[in-house]
Amino acid sequence: MKITISGKKEVIDTGVEKVTISNLLTLKNVEMPEMVSVELNGSIIAREDFSIREINDGDTVEFLYFMGGGS
Amino acid sequence: MNRLEFETRAIHDDFLQGQSIKATQVPVYESASFSYDDAESIADVFSGKRFGYIYSRISNPTVTALERRLSNLENGIGAVAVSSGMAAIATAIFALTKSGDRIIAAKGLFSGTYYLFQELFQKYGVETTYVDIDDLDSLRNSIDNRTRLIFVESIGNPGMKIPDIQALSHIARESNVPLIVDSTLTTPYLLKSKEYGVDIIIHSLTKYLTGNGSTIGGAIIDTGNYDWGQSFSGNVKEISQKAGQYAFLGVARKQVLQYTGSCLSPANARQHILGLETLHLRMERHCLNGIKLAEYLSHNDKVRNVNYPGLKDNPYHSIANKQFSNKHGGVLTMSLKSQEKCFKFISKLSLVKNQANIGDARTLIIHPASTIFHEYSKNELQDLGIDDSCIRISAGLENIKDIINDFDQALKEV
Repeated sequence: MKITISGKKEVIDTGVEKVTISNLLTLKNVEMPEMVSVELNGSIIAREDFSIREINDGDTVEFLYFMGGGS
Repeated sequence: MNRLEFETRAIHDDFLQGQSIKATQVPVYESASFSYDDAESIADVFSGKRFGYIYSRISNPTVTALERRLSNLENGIGAVAVSSGMAAIATAIFALTKSGDRIIAAKGLFSGTYYLFQELFQKYGVETTYVDIDDLDSLRNSIDNRTRLIFVESIGNPGMKIPDIQALSHIARESNVPLIVDSTLTTPYLLKSKEYGVDIIIHSLTKYLTGNGSTIGGAIIDTGNYDWGQSFSGNVKEISQKAGQYAFLGVARKQVLQYTGSCLSPANARQHILGLETLHLRMERHCLNGIKLAEYLSHNDKVRNVNYPGLKDNPYHSIANKQFSNKHGGVLTMSLKSQEKCFKFISKLSLVKNQANIGDARTLIIHPASTIFHEYSKNELQDLGIDDSCIRISAGLENIKDIINDFDQALKEV
């Protein structure tokens, strides 16, 4: 599937039909996954839904850190 | 690249960068700032799109390691470590309040906390209403639409009052205000704050969590119990729309710590991490020495009163048993006949150290009314539950026989 992650278009090919947010965090080797907030198509997804909320073709995903060292 | 000049080679070397060393202890990243290979990467970190370190006032890898471990021990969602316990309290209050807001706090708080609320925050328009934690109806009735948080200590220092935390959390939830508990005297080993409905936990890392009286530090932990999207604290509520459950910690770090600068040094963070590793062993011994010392003192003719929740006739014995798994901590107070007798007694001690701290490996003692609370009025001391005949003790890790022998010989001199 083709999705946009943090402003960049990417092709996600896992060999399985369904990709959850948790799967995506692992696939993309996202640093500090326990501290990342995920915005999917403009909505913040609750952490407890990461393992069930699926990513679909054309989705826009933003990884946001509010606990890290930026401004 | 051509061989660099002497001065440049004295400064630049990429030794160990990018290598996986697998050291078992957390390194001290004594680095003020962190570099990136390209402008895009550092821009992504600044905008929050990527995790990374920028400047150690905001976050630092060694401090992050401490924060993760603290949050893990408290079953929290995250932590912010700062330069002291007082900085932790101040940071949490700054994150949740603005001028015109109100704090509901227990009567008899530690003097530093009391002065922070009464002198500093009051000056900037944040009022504090002090309530008796034994009177839950009065506490409930004190909450109004200006209230932004409830603040209590898990064991009052040095009044030794213990709040019914579960009951407090229900009241806090009814009014949709977060409950903050300073768990310094209990640590995550004795008090499972999250299970009792606490929303934010404060620790002075200086005390039991590090355990050797070496290093000043503080921490704020969010248990994840509170829905910041429902908060009355405008800033936090607004940020929650993007940050979700990390809203409070995000404001604490990015809007308070970042600009007030009360950051924890990485060297201090490492000392705190080392202390955490033996917390479970030390707390058992502190509690054991605490009860044995309290029992000895309560049978000594020279001692008028002993205040320790481990004693069966203590009014907080049952609530302590329930909340702290039948353990009671290492802090207790005792009274002699007068301040004069207290001073003489303290001067005769040899092993026990007369100093302003608790939670050290050494047994410590202090006369609170003439030291920590010397600026308090008689009414304020009464609210604390102490007077000038009271002595505070922090039972250390020494052999209890040696501790008792020292108390015994000093009491004989009184």
